Order: sequence, then C-alpha cells, then structure tokens
Amino acid sequence: MEAYLGIDVGSVTTKFAVLNESDELVTHVYLPTEGKPIDMVQQGLKQIKQQLPKGVDIRGVATTGSARYLAGVIMGADLVKNEITSHAVGALRYFPEGQTIIEIGGQDSKIIIIRDGIVTDFGMNTVCAAGTGSFLDHQALRLNMSIKEFSQRALDSTTPVRIAGRCTVFAESDMIHKQQMGHRIEDILYGLCQALVRNYLNNVGLGKDIQSPIIFQGGVAFNQGIVKAIQEELGSEVIVPPHHEVMGAIGAALLVHEEMAHSHEGSKFKGFGISEIKYHTSSFECQACPSLCEIAQLSLNGQVLARWGGRCDLWERSPTS
Amino acid sequence: MRIGMPHMGNLYIPFKALFQRLNIDFVIPPLNNQRTLSLGVRHSPEGMCIPFKLTLGNLIEATELGADTLLMPAGSGICRLGYYAKTQEQILHDLGYNIAMVSVGVSQRKLFGLLEMIKRLSNNAPWSKIISAFRFGLAKLNAMDRIERAVQKIRPVERIKGTANKLFAKAIKAIDQADDYNTLKKVQINCIDQLNQVTKVSKAQPLVVGIIGEFYVLLEPFSNLDVESELGKLGVEVRRTTFVSEWTKFSLFLNPLGMNEKDRIHKAALPYLKRDIGGDGWESVGEKVLHATEYDGLIHLAPFTCMPEIVAQNIMPSTKENIPVLTILCDEQIAKPGMLTRLEAFVDLLEHRRRAQSNSLRREHGSLSGH
Repeated sequence: MEAYLGIDVGSVTTKFAVLNESDELVTHVYLPTEGKPIDMVQQGLKQIKQQLPKGVDIRGVATTGSARYLAGVIMGADLVKNEITSHAVGALRYFPEGQTIIEIGGQDSKIIIIRDGIVTDFGMNTVCAAGTGSFLDHQALRLNMSIKEFSQRALDSTTPVRIAGRCTVFAESDMIHKQQMGHRIEDILYGLCQALVRNYLNNVGLGKDIQSPIIFQGGVAFNQGIVKAIQEELGSEVIVPPHHEVMGAIGAALLVHEEMAHSHEGSKFKGFGISEIKYHTSSFECQACPSLCEIAQLSLNGQVLARWGGRCDLWERSPTS
Repeated sequence: MRIGMPHMGNLYIPFKALFQRLNIDFVIPPLNNQRTLSLGVRHSPEGMCIPFKLTLGNLIEATELGADTLLMPAGSGICRLGYYAKTQEQILHDLGYNIAMVSVGVSQRKLFGLLEMIKRLSNNAPWSKIISAFRFGLAKLNAMDRIERAVQKIRPVERIKGTANKLFAKAIKAIDQADDYNTLKKVQINCIDQLNQVTKVSKAQPLVVGIIGEFYVLLEPFSNLDVESELGKLGVEVRRTTFVSEWTKFSLFLNPLGMNEKDRIHKAALPYLKRDIGGDGWESVGEKVLHATEYDGLIHLAPFTCMPEIVAQNIMPSTKENIPVLTILCDEQIAKPGMLTRLEAFVDLLEHRRRAQSNSLRREHGSLSGH
C-alpha cells in the first residue's frame, strides 16, 4: 500500500496522520510534545510503524506546526508547510463547502476564512494566549479535574457567571473571586468558556467575515463547553469534524500527496529507522554583530544538520550544500 | 559641536556625504541592533511605538560616541512623531546626557528650512558649498534607491538565495566610499549589471506583493524583521512606493511647486476616508484602493500602537476594491517564526487565489469561444 505521512509538531501536542492512495486516514497518533519535539517525533514514528499494516510504502512526508523545520530535517520531509494552510486543506477535504474554520490549539488560535474552496483571509492570535488549550489545561489542573470533566461539567451550568476574559491572568483571579463568593463550579466553568470565546472573537476574529458553515477544529474542539459557547455567541451551528485534533497533520499529508504526484523524484523520507538515532541539539550566541542572535543547531554524530535563529542568513545556509 | 542622528535604513550615507563636504563633525551610531533596541525599550514609556524606541536607542548610542548635538525629525502634521524630539530630549536630559536637540522640521518650509538648518550646523558655510554638498548627498540617496528597486526584482527569482542581498550590501559600501559623481555612477551601473547577470530560476511569473504602511517601519528593515528579503526567499516580488528619494523629490522639490504625487493616493482614499488622520493612514487606505488590481496582495506594516495605521487597518476590509491584505504590527515583541508562518500562509493564499482566477478566466474564455 502506498501512503503519505503528515506530522504536525505543535507547541503542546505532536500529531501524526497516515493517508492511503485515496486520501483516507489509515492511522493517526496524538502525543504531548512536552517541550521535546525531537523525542516526540521519534516516539510517534515508532507508534505509527507499529500501527501500520505490513508492506506500507511511505511515498511522501510533510511536516507542519511550529517545529516544522526541525521535524522536516529529522524526517527528510518532502514538504514543509505552515499550519494555517495545512489546517485549511485538511478541513476542506472533509467539508468542501466550509466557509469559516476556527482552530484553537495548545498555544495559538487561528481563524481561516474560505470562499469557493479557497482561503481568502486568515488571522492568528498575536499577543495573547487567552482561550488556548494550555490555559484551559491549567485551569482544569487548578480545579483538580481532568479536561474531560471540565468539558462535561461546563455543560451542566444553569446560570453562567461573567468572567473577565481579556487576559488569562485576570480571568484566573476573577474565577477565584467567583469561587470564593460561592458560585457553582459548573457556572464558573461555563462562564469561563463564554469569556474565552468572546476574547477569541474580539481578537483573532476581529474584522473577519464569519459565515456558515463553520468548522471548529484543534485540540480545544474536544471541549464541549467551548463548542456550546461558540454556537451561542455566533448564533450558528458549528461542525466539529472527526479527527479534528489531527487535522493539521491530515492537511500536510494531503499536500504532500499532491506535491509528489507532480514530482519526478522519490520521497526523501529517511525511514522509520530514525526513531532510534540519537540527535544532538545545542545553541550558541553569534558574535558577528551586536545583534547577538541565538543560533540553535541540530547535529548527528558531530555533523551539523541544520541551524536556525539568526536575524541574517550567516548561519542558516544548509550545512549539506 | 558633534552631530549625531538616528538611523533609518541606509539614510546615514547621504548625510555622511553632506556632513563630510561641509566639514561638520559627526558620529554614526552602530546600525540598529539588539542593544539599540534594548536601550530604547528600557528608557521609553511602554506604549511608545517602535520608531520612538529605536531612534532613542540610536541617539543614546550616538551620545556614547561623543555626539552633543542630536538631529531628530519633528513638526506638526505628521503624527505624534512630531513630539518625539522634545520627549527624547527630556529623557536624555533625565539620564544625565548634556546634549542639545535640533528638531528638523520635515513638514514646514520644506527644502529651504532644511538648507537653513544645514547652514547653521556648518557654521555658516557659503550657500554654493551647501548646495553642492546637498546635491551630492542626494545623488547617493538616488543611487541607493535605484539599486534597491533592482534588488527587489532579483530577490524572488535568484537561483542562489541571498545573492542579490550580497550585491546590494557591496554596492551600499561602494556608494558610501564614492567621492565623486563619476565613481557613484560607475558603482550604480556595475551593480545593476551584476544583478541582471544573477542566475535565475525559470519561474513563469512571481507573485507581486505591494508593501504599504507607516514610513519608518517600511524603510527600516530591522524594525520589520527584513520582511522584504523574507518575501524574496518565498519567491515573491515586492513593490513599494515609499522610498526616501521619492519623498525628497516630492516634499522638497515638487510639492512647493504645486505638484503632489500624494493627491492621486488621497483621491483614491476619498470614498472611505475623507481627511488626513496623521502619519500615513490616509495613504495606506489610498494605496490599497489603487493597487487592488495591480498586485496579487498587500502587506501592511504598522508600528504597534500606531493610531493612524490602526484606523487604516480597520477601514481597509470595507473598501469595494478587493485585494488580500496582511497587516503586520511591528514592535519589540514581534518574533520571526510567527511572522514567517503568516507570510508563508499569505503566499499560499495568494497562489491559490491566482490559480482560481486564471481557471475562471480560462472557463469564461472557453465558453465565449465555444469550446
């Protein structure tokens, strides 16, 4: 079987998706990144290999997400794609008639506006991470409940309380205040969902032409409270697609499939064996000018594979060329 | 008296030529770098824009090199930048620097005001000498901008990324060192020749993106994280109306004669914004309208907290002239990976849009010709 692998290495989670020749999802893996993108790419790759049936031939690999370049070098990716395009392509595969995509991940949230099947506008959170997965995780942890319980209990709210959602720090102190006042936890949880949705729509969604059908994906779409709050706020149904949490990886795999169909060369994929290799990362401060850029480098057996992080191109040329 | 002034792109080169020819003592602070920014941020109120912070950093670094007379643009009719000279003077005095601030009125009396100021700085040099030095500085400015326009065309199509930037840096150095018009001309011709000979990728038609927005962040690559070079690496051709040489041509020479290039831009903006709102906000709206059919997309650069550009940003989506616009807010918090993600996604958007448009054109054409 011929297959295409998409990997989405985000700030909080790492996602893998394998599609077959007809672009159907064969298998997927969802792991916490835990600040160790290389380890997680290797671990995920191992799991994918175990889950795949025998005789699968990987014909193309694409990486996306904030660690897409790093993951791209490790994997020998055929395509390195930004997560905005990947998410749009993934969602449109399942819902070609979609006009708006809301994507809320671990640390960033996006809105993608689509008309007639092409992206016409997008937005991404800039200065504020309120409403993203990490904050919700943190609040669940503080209330000593799982994120799943958070999601269910938020739905049991009868009279949601108003929480200040402009800033996570103030949202948290506001929540504590409301707890101390004796409000029901369900009402506080759902009040938080509403506050975060308002924050999202006022920041990321500002000035965007939000039209139905609306697709909601990313890890936060697991949270039923947030789904309900979005529907209420927009006064419209939202669709949470199956496998919404790995949609970026699915989009990347779709893109590399298309790319390889036009290419005359085979895949650069380095094979499943790379999950056993010991990569080494390090960093140094460039002294060439007063900017003192922090250059990060990835090496294998003392040979530098790639470098990042400079304001100029001094260190960024590919070490292989 | 030793002169110091803030940076904006390579503008120090024409000023250096001018000062040298008039025997004015001056220092050039280090080009914008992380230290400049840190100094500026440390001593500025948090809500000030990136032009304020970087220029303050430059002025501090110039003072460290012995400058005691600092030049800073000022005047009414621009934006709060008009008060920056005064504010920065106060900050520098509070820091214990004993300096004199000379406000350069960019909006009043135009050319004559500028020449008068130079005359004062040059300890009353004869007018003939001042005009000749000014002309030479201007020639350097024009040469740099002509080369930069050529560089903008090569960046997206060069086979080895970074080639055009290297030639550009070499030419800037040579222009800086040129002592006469002849050498200057040679440098310019040589560089443009070399640029034309750069090996190119065979790509049919690169996407064309217009860069619009606030003057300083457009012209100081450090403040916009080198957005033009990054777009070049993505294979996108960049066009920009704002060049210092254009500005001097109009504001110093042609406007006083009643010719105003900006009339055209303002007229285009009229249905959506009827008056100047300070800074370059009016121009940003007008340029969006004008370029809607010319380019594939626009990148709108604005300093964070810039009122005129934020007004413009919020007017732009409602114009009937439709073109994708990506606004990038520049400040000390902006991070390159985040900007690159947005640029890459924007370029994908433009490519898909162009493909969809050519497909629908082909369909229309096909149905008309009966196929």
